[in-house]
Order: sequence, then C-alpha cells, then structure tokens
Amino acid sequence: MTWTGTVLLFSGRPDPTWAVPPSIVRSLQRIWDRAAAYPGPPPAASPLGYRGCLLKSPDLREWLAYGGAVTLRTAGEAESRRDPGRSFERTLLASAPPRAVPASLIEALEPP
Amino acid sequence: MIELEGSEAREAAERLVPVRPLARSEAVLPPWPTLGYRGLVIEQVAAPDKRLPRVFRLVHGDLLGPRLAHRAEDEQFETFALGMSGLVRRLGYGPEFSRRLEREVERFRKLRADLAKRRHRAPVWPKRHRCACAPLYEPHWWNVSQRQPFNNCYNYATNYRTDTFAQPGLAAGAMYAALTCAAVRPAAIADALIDSPGANNRCPDEGHLVALVIAPGWDFHWYRKGRNGYWSHKPGGTPVTNVDNSGAAIPDPRLANRGPYVNFCTFMTVMHGHIKIR
Repeated sequence: MTWTGTVLLFSGRPDPTWAVPPSIVRSLQRIWDRAAAYPGPPPAASPLGYRGCLLKSPDLREWLAYGGAVTLRTAGEAESRRDPGRSFERTLLASAPPRAVPASLIEALEPP
Repeated sequence: MIELEGSEAREAAERLVPVRPLARSEAVLPPWPTLGYRGLVIEQVAAPDKRLPRVFRLVHGDLLGPRLAHRAEDEQFETFALGMSGLVRRLGYGPEFSRRLEREVERFRKLRADLAKRRHRAPVWPKRHRCACAPLYEPHWWNVSQRQPFNNCYNYATNYRTDTFAQPGLAAGAMYAALTCAAVRPAAIADALIDSPGANNRCPDEGHLVALVIAPGWDFHWYRKGRNGYWSHKPGGTPVTNVDNSGAAIPDPRLANRGPYVNFCTFMTVMHGHIKIR
C-alpha cells in the first residue's frame, strides 16, 4: 500500500513522483489533523511553473498543498485547511529523492 | 472486369461503332470525381477495331474518349451489358447487383442532365476565414479524468491525444537529449511538425500554428493558436486554459507571461494527419 508524492512542476515532462515513507505520511497526517479550516477558497497557482505538491493515498484520496493551504480531494468533495509556514508542503517536498525536486524550489517557498 | 473474345468481341465493336457526334451540351461528364457508377470503361486489348480508340467510356449510349464524343450505333448496349441477363451476370454478384446498377445508371444520368443545364459551372466553395483550419478551443473535451492527466502541452498543441504524455521526437526515435531550443525543435521536426520561424503569429494557409518555449534545462512547453486568433495551452496534466501566468488572454505567446519558460524558440505548423507523436 504505497503513498505517493508528486510535485506539480512541469508541462512537457512528467512531474516527479515518489513513494512517501510511512513515517512522513504519519507526520503529514498529524499536520492535517491539527490544521484549522481554511477561510474561503484556497490560493490558486499560475498555470506554468510550480503549482504545489500532491500526496496520494492508496485509496486515491489526494491532498494538494500550495501557498499556505492544503486541500483534501475525495470523490466529488474537497476540504481545505490552513498550512501555516507551509509545513505540510515543505515536509512532503523534503521527502522526495535527491534531485527529484530542485533544491532552489524548496528554498524559494516563502511562508505566505 | 468482363472479357469478350472472338465473335463476341467483334459483335460488341459493331454495336459500339460511333454514328453521330455529340453536341457540346450532350457530352457532359462531371469535371470533378464522383462516387458511384460512372459508365463502362472498355479497353480493346487484342485486334482492336480501328473505328474506336484503345480505351473509351460508354455511358448512357454516349462514347467518350480520345477524339471520341459520339453516339453509339446501339444506344442500348449498356442496358444489355448491365441487365440481369446481360454480360454483368458473369461476375456472379447476383440479381440484386444488377438492380442496384440500374438505379446507379439512372442516378448518374440525372447528374449529367443537371450538369448540362448548369453549363459546367465550377463549384463555388465557401470563403475561408483566417485560422479556419485551427482547432476549436474546447477545454471541456480535454479537462476530464479520462484525458486530462494523460495528455500534456505537446498533445494539446498538436491536437493529438495519445494518453502517453507525448514527448517530442519519441515516436520517430529522435527524442530530445537536452531541454534547450536547439534540442527540442529538431525532435518536433522529426515528428513531422514544420518549423515556421517566420510565421510571426500569422495562421498558416493549411494546418495550425503552435509555439515552442523552453524553461532552460528544466522543461519545454507548447501553445496552440485557435480559430479566434488567440492562443491556449495545457500545462502538463492540468486543465486546458486560454490565459497566461498573469491571468490575461494570449494574443501572442512571445509576449505572454510564461513563468519559468523564458526562452521563446519558434513557431511551428501542424499539418493535420501528417504528424506522429507518442
């Protein structure tokens, strides 16, 4: 039962995807469980360039982290919560294998 | 094909002897190719009758060929040949084939009569608009779960769904080896896209215009010009959109906010049906 991470980055090439270790998944679940609801619609990324990162569970639930919000998408439903300091987003990106995600990208993630 | 030999061939030649030149209004055939019955093509293979050319056509009792536009001696030869008890029976297609042929002969007769009334006027084609060959902007077709995640900017720009996240040059065994204009452009050319650096944002006469941009060492991206003259794109597995990174419409991709795709490489032309991508 593999959890996968994906950084939404490219247009022509496939986005980098990797298996997320169980310890990281537990950390991310803790962040999610403690997070407060996000007021209003979550921030939307520009079409080109970095567009956030995605955690996908074996039962096909998806958490999209971008710009200080995390959105859980299940069949036909979505729930957004705050991601102060982008901790969910940073933790997930940091779990990528070396060179899968450009270091400059992680460094450039400014807290909202 | 039905072959006639010996006395049978000689009898046919006698029945097809030209007897009267056709008037200009009678010797009418469609000036463009048509579907369905178009007459009997008769070829003299051996011992040709000198009164007839080697190859000619018989249609509704008219003989048409090189220096030949005459009425045949036996105007009913065609009916005889195609009827249920005629020569066509030898093909073994059954009586329904003959009945269908009879209807076809009459359909073609009516077409010729209509053409004669119209005095060979060439068809008038509707006026074409600029970018009429460009694909429609139809984001709803692409932005569905069966297609959106599996098709990228290259698929969308070329209007060619592969569900494989197509890569320039892969289908031709000439995939790019670096993420530069100099590497991706020839890869796309290997897929049969036509480099059009001088297009200057103008629609081609045929096919549609696409544009290649590069985030150096990072990625490539494609736009396509739509029927309305504006550009749209599909960033990776995300939805198709017609706005740039500033949320503005895209009249010219050279001037659009392209995020990290800072190098504008070239315009290229996609000839529909010519390209092959994977």
